[in-house]
Amino acid sequence: MKKTILLIALVTVTGSIFAKNSVSVSDKEKSAIPSSQKAGPKKTTTSGTISFNATTAKDAKPKAENKTVIASIDIVEGTVAFEVIVKNFSFENPMMQEHFNSPVWMDSEKYPTATFKGNIANLNAINFKKDGTYAAEVKGDLTIHGVTKSVSSAGSISVVGGSIKVASDFNVALADYGVNGPAIAAGKVATESKVSVSAEMK
Amino acid sequence: MEVTIKKKYSFLKKTGLFFLIILIVSAAWLWYVFTEKYADTSQITPAYSMTALDLIHEFEKNDSLANKKYAEKIMVLSGEVSEVEGVDSTVNIKMADSTSGSYVIFAFQQQDFGLAKKIKLGEKVSIKGSCSGGAFSKILETEFITFKRCAINH
Repeated sequence: MKKTILLIALVTVTGSIFAKNSVSVSDKEKSAIPSSQKAGPKKTTTSGTISFNATTAKDAKPKAENKTVIASIDIVEGTVAFEVIVKNFSFENPMMQEHFNSPVWMDSEKYPTATFKGNIANLNAINFKKDGTYAAEVKGDLTIHGVTKSVSSAGSISVVGGSIKVASDFNVALADYGVNGPAIAAGKVATESKVSVSAEMK
Repeated sequence: MEVTIKKKYSFLKKTGLFFLIILIVSAAWLWYVFTEKYADTSQITPAYSMTALDLIHEFEKNDSLANKKYAEKIMVLSGEVSEVEGVDSTVNIKMADSTSGSYVIFAFQQQDFGLAKKIKLGEKVSIKGSCSGGAFSKILETEFITFKRCAINH
């Protein structure tokens, strides 16, 4: 009887150790899978793009693009999120890049990221199981320069063979986010910047 | 009387010429600053050279300090390509820490688009670029460090 109990105890302990090991290996393997390839309702990319254009008749330089935007979409919950490092907006002109990141404009030392977190307002109108391009209305919170504002924007969601491409064009009034550089008053930077967002998530 | 007028005229001439030179130099400087474009990254001497994993670990340890040290510096990073992501007409290259999921991502300068597209998953490469700093991603829950204007380091 004693031997039987000892045997059962040994089997149980050994089994639990192996079970623990197999869980940790599985977790490690899971973390090695690029996030963009993980299956499930949440799809992501780390190579979305956001470009802005605040040019005027007086100055054609205030425009830049960021190609390393993190984006995610949850096709069940209908949530959409974007995250970007401000300093990775790339300008052609070094002086413009320096001004953009300075305390007078984006103050990117103090506010290193810009984010958007929201929901697809017309989720029922989008069939993520059927290839096609759908009109989408997204509402959420946009945080730029440390200021968060509720925004809504029209855009499109394209479903192609399991990958989802989100695209939207909208305007951002710089003053709404506390961006008031003197070049705006001088007419060299537009009061409203045109912003284009695009991200393909797999 | 005539001598005094001549002296005065000569003084005005010299002063006018001086201001004209200042004006021309200032205009040339302004023109240069406003029309200047970034130099080819491959031609710039890097401030730091290290492995991508070492940089990731430094940001994971303290990203405020790492940002102060590396942001806007030209760096050469070497490591294994963990992901190649299509973006517009080119690709971004990623080097990730497979344990934590933290990563460095490189966006290339236009003249290197073609070379970047030839890079394969798992390949060991060396890339030179301008570090834009890093942050903790609330979406991915990992540290991410971004680079712009990158070039393949030969």
